[in-house]
Amino acid sequence: MTISTTSTSAFYERATMDLSALRKQAESLQGQLSSGARLARSSDNPVAASRLRTLARGSEMANVDLANANRATADLKLTDTALSTFADYVTRARELTIQAANGTLTTSQRASIGGELQQIHGSLFALANSRDSTGHALFGGQTAGNAYTLDGAGNAVYAGTATSEDLPLGDGQSVKRGLTGPEFLNFSVNGNPTDLMAVIKTLGDALLGAAADPAQAARDALAPLSDALDTVTNGQTQIGARLAWIELTNDRRTTLSELHAGEEADLGSTDMAATIAELQQVMLVLEASQASFVKLASLNLFELIQ
Amino acid sequence: MASDLLSIAASGAKAARLALDVTAQNIANASSEGYVRRSVRLEELASSGGFGRIGDVSLSGVRLDRVMRNADTFRQAEVRRTGADAARGQAEVAGLENVQTAVEQSNVYPSIVKFEASLQQLASDPVDPSLRSAVIEAARTMTRTMNIAATSLDAAGNGLRFEAGDAVSQINGIATELGRVNLRLARASDASSDQTALLDQRDMLLERMSEYADVSATINADHTVEVRLGGSAGAQIVTGGTTASLAMTTAPNGTLSFAVGATPVTLSGGSLAGKAQALIKLADVRTKLDTIATGVIATVNTAQAAGVALDGSAGQPLLAGTDAASIALALEDGRKIATAPAGAGANSRDAAGLTAMRTALGISDPAGAMDALIFDISGTVAGRTVTRDALDTIAGNARIALSAQAGVNLDQEATNLIRYQQAFQASSKAIQIASNLFDTLLALR
Repeated sequence: MTISTTSTSAFYERATMDLSALRKQAESLQGQLSSGARLARSSDNPVAASRLRTLARGSEMANVDLANANRATADLKLTDTALSTFADYVTRARELTIQAANGTLTTSQRASIGGELQQIHGSLFALANSRDSTGHALFGGQTAGNAYTLDGAGNAVYAGTATSEDLPLGDGQSVKRGLTGPEFLNFSVNGNPTDLMAVIKTLGDALLGAAADPAQAARDALAPLSDALDTVTNGQTQIGARLAWIELTNDRRTTLSELHAGEEADLGSTDMAATIAELQQVMLVLEASQASFVKLASLNLFELIQ
Repeated sequence: MASDLLSIAASGAKAARLALDVTAQNIANASSEGYVRRSVRLEELASSGGFGRIGDVSLSGVRLDRVMRNADTFRQAEVRRTGADAARGQAEVAGLENVQTAVEQSNVYPSIVKFEASLQQLASDPVDPSLRSAVIEAARTMTRTMNIAATSLDAAGNGLRFEAGDAVSQINGIATELGRVNLRLARASDASSDQTALLDQRDMLLERMSEYADVSATINADHTVEVRLGGSAGAQIVTGGTTASLAMTTAPNGTLSFAVGATPVTLSGGSLAGKAQALIKLADVRTKLDTIATGVIATVNTAQAAGVALDGSAGQPLLAGTDAASIALALEDGRKIATAPAGAGANSRDAAGLTAMRTALGISDPAGAMDALIFDISGTVAGRTVTRDALDTIAGNARIALSAQAGVNLDQEATNLIRYQQAFQASSKAIQIASNLFDTLLALR
C-alpha cells in the first residue's frame, strides 16, 4: 500500500517547475513595464516587429523629406522676394519711360532718364545673379557658376541650365525649388523673343542718343515693359503655388507621422494599466503558490514521529 | 522436523533489520539522480511434511526473497523519448536566438535605412561637401554593421559546432560506459544489490545519452541493453560489451552530419539534433545576408560607374568586397560620389546620377530584404519557442510520472520505518519468550 502516488522528489520538481514558470512570467511583465517596450526581441512578435521596422524607416525618411521641404521653402521665399524687387524695378522703369515719352522733355533730360535706366539694368543684372540658401545661383537652374554674364557689348546673357532641379518631398512627390532667369524675364514682342534686361538696356541706350527719335523709342518700349511686368508677376504666382504645394505635403506628412506614431505606440509600447494589472495577478498567484508550497513541504511524517 | 522458536524469531528480527536497512537506503537516496526506490519482498520459510509426517509443524521463520527495484521500463522509455525532444527544442531555440541576435542587434537594418536617407538628403544639394561626407559616413556604418553581423553569425556557428563536438564526445563516453555496465550486468547474479545498482546506472546512462541524441534501447533478458542512435532503425552504437564510435563531419557551409562507424545517422532528437538544425538555419541566414551585401555593392557601384564625380572624373566603385564579411568602403572622399550623369563637367549640380542610384536602390530594396530576413529568423524563433515550451511541458510531465512511480516518498518510508521497527521489536519479544520458556524448562525441579 502506498500513502500517496507522489514521490518526494516529484513533489519538489513539480513545485520548482510551477514556481519558476510564474516567476518568469512576472519578470517578463516587469521588463515590459521598465523598458516601456512590449517587444524586447523580434521573435516576441515577428509581424509587429517587422511593421515597427517599416514605420521607423518611414519616419527616418520623413525627417529627410522635412529637411528638403524646409530648404525648398527657404529658396522659394528668396525667389519670391527677388521677384518683388524685379517688379518694383519694372514699375520704376515704366514711370521713367512714360516721362521720357513726353515730347516736351529736352534731350539732356531724356539722357539723364537714360542714365537712370542703365543703372536699373545694372541692378537687375545683379539681382538676377542672387544666390540661394546654399550659395548657388538662385535663377541659374543647376549651373555651378553665375546665372547671367555680360557680353562684350554689356548685354546680359543667360549662362544657366534650361530648368531648375526637382527636390524630392517624399512619397514620390517633388517640387521645383526655383525659377530659371528666362522663365520670368523672357517674353516676346510681336513674335520676337526678347527679355526684360535687353529691353531696358536698349531703351537706356536710345535715350542716351543711340536712337534718332528717343521719345518714339520710349513710347515703343511701354508695351514690352507692361508685358515684362506680367511675366514677372506670373513667375511670382508660380512660386506662391509651389509654396502652397510644399505646405500641403508638410501637412500631409504631419498627419501621417501622427498616424504612424499612434500605430507604433499601439504595436510596440506597453499598455501600462493592463500590464500592471496582469503583473499584480501573477504576483498574487506566485505568493499564494509559495505560501502553499511552504505549508505542504512542512507537512512531513518525520515532523510528527517522536 | 521440529520448529525452533528462537531461530524463527531470529529470522524475523533479521528480516526486519534488512527491511529497515532498505528503508534507510531509500531515505538516504531520496534525491539521488537515477535512484529507483527499493522495496523488500519477504517469504515465509516453511517445509511441508514428509512421508508419514503429515500434520507435522515445521515452521522456520522468514527470509528475504528479493530486494525489488520499482522501475517501469515504459515510463523510463517515455522519459528518454520526450527528454530527447525537449533537449532538441531547447538547443535549437538557443542556437536560433543567437542567430537572431547576430542579425538584429548588429543594427544592419537601421544602417541601410540611414544610408538611403543620407542619399535622399544629398539630393537637396548634390555639391554640398558636408552632405557628401554624411553619405560616406553612412556607407561606412552600413559596411561595418554588415561586417559585425557576419562575424557574430560566424561566432554563433562556431559556438554551436563546439558544443556539438562536446556532445559527440559525451555520447561516445556514455556508450563506452554502457558497454562496461553491460559486461558487468551479464555477470551479476540476479536480484543482488550489485545488480540493482548496475540497473540504476544503466538507466541513468541511457537517460543522459537521450539528452544528446534520440536513443532507441532494447533490453535483453540478461538486463544488458542494446542502443541505437537515430530511432529504432538507426545505427547500433552499443551491443553487449562492444561499442561503436559516433563521428561528426562539418560541411564547408558549417552544417553537421553524423555517422556511427561508417553508417550515416540522421538524428531527430537530443541537443545534438537541435544544434544541427540551428546550424542549417544559420547557413541559410548567412547566405541571405551575403546576397543582400552583394546586392548593395553591385547596385551602388553600377550607379557610380554610370555617373561623374564632383571633380568631373568618371565614378569609381564606392564599395569593395564580395560578401557581408568583406564589404568595405572603397572611397574615403565624399567628392568622389558620382551624383552627376555621364558627360557632365566638374562641379555639376545635375543630380541625375544620384537619382539613378536612389532609383536602383529603391528597386533592389536592400532594407526591405533585410526586414524580410529578420522577419524570417524571428518568425522561426517564435514558432520554435512555442514548440519548445510544449515539449518541455511534456518532458516535465513524463519525468514527474516516472519519479512518482520510481521515486522515494518520504512519508511512505517513515511509515515503513515504524512498521519494521515494530516488527523488529516483536521478533525481539519472541526471542525473549523463547528464552523465558527455556528458563522455565531449566527451572523445573
